[in-house]
Amino acid sequence: MDSRDKIDRREFIRAAAVLAAGGGAWMAARPDAEGMVWQIDPAKCIQCGRCATNCVLNPSAVKCVHTYEICGYCDLCSGYLQPGAKARDTGAENELCPVGALKRKFIEEPFYEYTVDEERCFGCAKCVKGCGQFGNGSLHLQIKRDLCVNCNECSIARNCPSDAIRRVPARRGYLFKQWVSGEESEG
Amino acid sequence: MDAIPKHLIPAWLWAVLAVAAMVLALALALTERRREPGPALLYDVSPYEAVDPAKVLFREAKRISLNLDAPTALCVRGDGTILVAGQDAVLVLDSSGGEKGRIAVEGAPDCLAEGPDGRLYLGMRTRIAVHDPHGTHLQSWQDLGPRAWITSIVADEQHVFAADAGNKVICRFDISGNLLNRIGERDPERDIPGLVVPSPYIDVLLDPGGGLWVVNPGRLGFEHYRADGSLASSWYRPGIELDGFSGCCNPIHAVFRSDASLVTVEKGINRVKVYSPDTTLLGVVATPEMIGTLAEAAASFQEEALVRDVAVDSEDRVLVLHGPRRELLIFEERAPKN
Ligand code: SF4
Ligand code: SF4
Ligand code: SF4
Repeated sequence: MDSRDKIDRREFIRAAAVLAAGGGAWMAARPDAEGMVWQIDPAKCIQCGRCATNCVLNPSAVKCVHTYEICGYCDLCSGYLQPGAKARDTGAENELCPVGALKRKFIEEPFYEYTVDEERCFGCAKCVKGCGQFGNGSLHLQIKRDLCVNCNECSIARNCPSDAIRRVPARRGYLFKQWVSGEESEG
Repeated sequence: MDAIPKHLIPAWLWAVLAVAAMVLALALALTERRREPGPALLYDVSPYEAVDPAKVLFREAKRISLNLDAPTALCVRGDGTILVAGQDAVLVLDSSGGEKGRIAVEGAPDCLAEGPDGRLYLGMRTRIAVHDPHGTHLQSWQDLGPRAWITSIVADEQHVFAADAGNKVICRFDISGNLLNRIGERDPERDIPGLVVPSPYIDVLLDPGGGLWVVNPGRLGFEHYRADGSLASSWYRPGIELDGFSGCCNPIHAVFRSDASLVTVEKGINRVKVYSPDTTLLGVVATPEMIGTLAEAAASFQEEALVRDVAVDSEDRVLVLHGPRRELLIFEERAPKN
């Protein structure tokens, strides 16, 4: 056996160890079928803004989601426009979202559709609050299952002022708002 | 060369340092604090909730606590009696708020009205229930379909008008319950823009001259219709400032006073205001501070509008039905300052 062999073997073992450790971490982070994951209960969230700043990830694993059945497709969308906006258009000075993640598209007079650009959204809940306080509350926050690393103790849950984040079964990892009851429902 | 001393740091110092490190780690773990969201991330409309006291033209004259679950609707009868609908009952109150009786109903009417002949019309989600002046159930009119949601009723000598928020239309019935026509549906040929109803609120009201007015909540204003469904006039006032209607769908309730001034109720920014017949804002009846601010509503997880209905009595006082507090607030106009 020459020294090259030894190095290869050493590297192989090291790589295997790294893989094992990484895999272990990934397995720990990845919710298995029977596991539990963290999720936001939209009925309890008071849109304090901490979901944007308290997640261990940057940007946060929390994003705004939209239940279209509840949305009024309003022209004067209080989730999209600044409270005192002078014009109802896509001008940046009128937009409520600090990063322009909420998009507005004309459908037909007087209806507009609003979609969330998930890459930009960092879960600040500003639009959620506007929508809930003046509109139908169709915008809400959810922890995205594909982004969240499922910390043992969710760093947002620890600081959430309304205990809105709880464990839910991984198989049904969302608590989307639904139209039927006007309440959230596990999705 | 001198040998390096074996124990440069004595063992007791190591122990102290180790304990200190553990205490520090524990303190950091237990008191973990992350960045608080800055002002740019906060949604704050409280500046719009503040009202200049000089603009408040009314004062709260009386507050009546209601012995009724989930109050939903209100009307003042011709004889001054006040009716308040809620879960399984309609409370009958005298003009000073004393309970005179109650009418048993199944469920909670979303709205109610009295006709000129004293008959009562109750909106039971998809149909109208008719009761005689004493409260006895006479009949229920045709079901308006699974999407219907009757949120407001008014009646004159010949007609009953029902606002159906689910189907976004006003139904005009004769007093026998026959559906005569539908008012407010989008019709570009007649220049009718169509009712926009993002949430289940449309109010229908009669002005002192008998004219039919409809709140178009999604357009943030009012439309005046003739009985045949043609549009006589309209005015819209979108805006969060005091003289506008805020949010996506407001006002949620309205009623005319005897001088044709118009009392409006908004949700979100919970304010009751009064407009002159030429649509100029006259002033405020009740401020968000009196009814409940957005912050208070959010803290108590109130998703429904705080004010469930509004009415005017024979003295032109404004009666505001506060749902979560289960109270009737009566506002009377302050004496005009000279
Ligand atoms: S920390 Fe809690 S209350 Fe605040 S935005 Fe997140 S889920 Fe809502
Ligand atoms: S306002 Fe905040 S929560 Fe809403 S889309 Fe923008 S970044 Fe996301
Ligand atoms: S569990 Fe971790 S990654 Fe997921 S939302 Fe909470 S802090 Fe963020």
